[in-house]
Amino acid sequence: MQLSTRHLLGIKDLTSQDIQLILDTATQFKEVLQRPIKKVPSLRDVTIVNLFYENSTRTRISFELAEKRLSADTINFAASASSVSKGETLLDTVNNILSMKVDMVVMRHSASGAPHFLAKHIPAAIVNAGDGINEHPTQGLLDAFSMREKTGKLEGLKVAIIGDIMHSRVAMSNIYLLKKMGAEVMVAGPPTLIPKYIQEAFDIRVEYNLRRALEWCDVANVLRIQLERQNQVLFSSLREYSLAYGINKQILDSLNKEIVIMHPGPINRGVELDSDAADSKQSIILQQVENGVAVRMAVLYLLAGGRGENN
Amino acid sequence: MTILIKGALITDPNSPHNGNKKDIFIENGIIRQIGYNLSVKADTTINEKDCHASPGWVDLFANFCDPGKEHKESLETGAAAAAAGGFTEVLVIPNTNPAIHTKAQVEYIVQKAKALAVTIHPIGAVTKNIEGKDLAEMYDMYNSGAKAFGDGTNTIQSSGLLIKALQYVKTVDAVVIQVPDDKTIGSGGLMNEGIVSTRLGLPGKPAIAEEIMIARDIKLARYAASKLHFTGVTTKKSLEYVKRAKEAGINVTCSVTPYHLFFCDEDLQSYDTNLKVNPPLRTKEEMMALRDALKSGVMDCIATHHQPQHWDDKTCEFEYAQYGMIGLETAFAVTNSLNLIPIEKWVEMMAVNSRKIINEPAPVIKEGEKANITLFNPNTEFEFTASHIKSKSKNSPFIGKTLKGKVIGIINKEHLFLNA
Repeated sequence: MQLSTRHLLGIKDLTSQDIQLILDTATQFKEVLQRPIKKVPSLRDVTIVNLFYENSTRTRISFELAEKRLSADTINFAASASSVSKGETLLDTVNNILSMKVDMVVMRHSASGAPHFLAKHIPAAIVNAGDGINEHPTQGLLDAFSMREKTGKLEGLKVAIIGDIMHSRVAMSNIYLLKKMGAEVMVAGPPTLIPKYIQEAFDIRVEYNLRRALEWCDVANVLRIQLERQNQVLFSSLREYSLAYGINKQILDSLNKEIVIMHPGPINRGVELDSDAADSKQSIILQQVENGVAVRMAVLYLLAGGRGENN
Repeated sequence: MTILIKGALITDPNSPHNGNKKDIFIENGIIRQIGYNLSVKADTTINEKDCHASPGWVDLFANFCDPGKEHKESLETGAAAAAAGGFTEVLVIPNTNPAIHTKAQVEYIVQKAKALAVTIHPIGAVTKNIEGKDLAEMYDMYNSGAKAFGDGTNTIQSSGLLIKALQYVKTVDAVVIQVPDDKTIGSGGLMNEGIVSTRLGLPGKPAIAEEIMIARDIKLARYAASKLHFTGVTTKKSLEYVKRAKEAGINVTCSVTPYHLFFCDEDLQSYDTNLKVNPPLRTKEEMMALRDALKSGVMDCIATHHQPQHWDDKTCEFEYAQYGMIGLETAFAVTNSLNLIPIEKWVEMMAVNSRKIINEPAPVIKEGEKANITLFNPNTEFEFTASHIKSKSKNSPFIGKTLKGKVIGIINKEHLFLNA
């Protein structure tokens, strides 16, 4: 089985078969990660560069770990400590790196469409590790993997994505993926943080009231308030946001069912999620992180396809 | 210098020869004879198939980036692009460095362009340094050759200031040219806000940012009883507002770009930076409404919004790419390829209406008049390639597209320019 695409630029470009294949492959890699020897030789002789034009902790570590578990050679690149701060363009930077014979590029960038731009200009396979407010496909995949693992299904699952939808690439990848896999999707949050055309663009539900959203869903994927991405005032204060949209144990207990709580991290504790909810047994936040490595191994393995020791 | 144009279909609503296929003989920039099968000797004889001759076309909105950004365009290369596109006159916007905001910059352009085949008219800035704060010396600039006023791509945001500007230009009976754009709405927007921008994960700029500005500016123009031209209008509602204002006797006019007629936001799926423009490409529905409006005659003319950008400024992440595309060379072919209007209508818009907006009489193709002529063949199909481009920049999404309608050349100020 092979993916229908050379790159992973976004969930938008994947078929439901691709998604199924990645999730199933990730299940196998998750099993590998439980073994005493967690390393497999699948990507021996494959060189991967991790290009991080934007700060990241868990995504970068998760990718690096996935690459190392697959025996790939890895190079890390952080924009702040490179020629980018000397004014080099993205294309020049990447071409310079590629001339040193790199096979794959994992890139995070603050501009939407940056990986699509690279894919048009360079021969290496590209994995989008988050571009602007567009997509974060591996996060979408690991979220789906975690939902499927916890609830046993994706089809018919009711998922509410709660918080700053407008500035969230996680929301976008979740929406694309869940719709393709037959889940029901709702976005909930303050109207100033929900794109005006989102309902028409994706055929999903929109809710402005937190309680109604929680009462509807099986899974609540709670997003981080992206303070760094807001260039204008979209809500009056973090305190007020927390009053209207903060999730705590009290509100979870008042529901007549037990919903699953997810969060892509890093959590602003006490803003979108209180500690008593984040650390409760309903929360699968740490499982998401664990699954992230297996999902990224699956993506890299499938994209490397004919490369590495296979050829 | 003498020029003989053989068998040109004269397309000029003001000419007694309109609609006739005749020879035109020009001597030292003056039309001497028009007739069937003229037997005169000329230094240059033009004998082209399907040759149409119309009064020279005028573009109301182009950026020649000179002074300041000559690596993108200069007056010379901009004029060459204009000539190749059939334009004998071009209004250049003041978004230069320094901005065209005093007599000195206006005179620089007028003097430097004197020897060129294309007449270049500067648009004087309404405000100093095109900052939208204090009025610039418009009277002085007008006397030096500024044909119209406006802050170019820096839309004047303050209502109070625009009223003053509209009142001020009445001294010289000039027009204010405004790109309708409320910059406080969707300020980080990179494309039209809508279903496509939501799916692409790009911040959107809603149509209302344009429409609200048109509605406001119409009221200001009525209050000041002055002349206002909107350029780069992109929505159905904007056109309705302009239409109603005209019916109410308010002195407003509008123009659209060829690219807003040709492309819509769906064409941005691949993040093509050449399609990053402001005002942005709107929805397919709006694009179709613009095409209908062109047929029904709501807009007065086409303006190219020729905006050269260096390779570096477009070969990068979409968010960091500069706005605009070059358009002088393709304006006619692109509009003509859409088959929306008869050729007479195109000539009326580009040679007559555009001049009316800047208070200039249209040149007439008849004996004794100065030759200010565009020669073109509306029926030739060709593939537009980078080698056709005379502009210093190559940022055109039309490269590789098959278009219909070729410009043969222009005659202006005793110059003859012919496309290869």
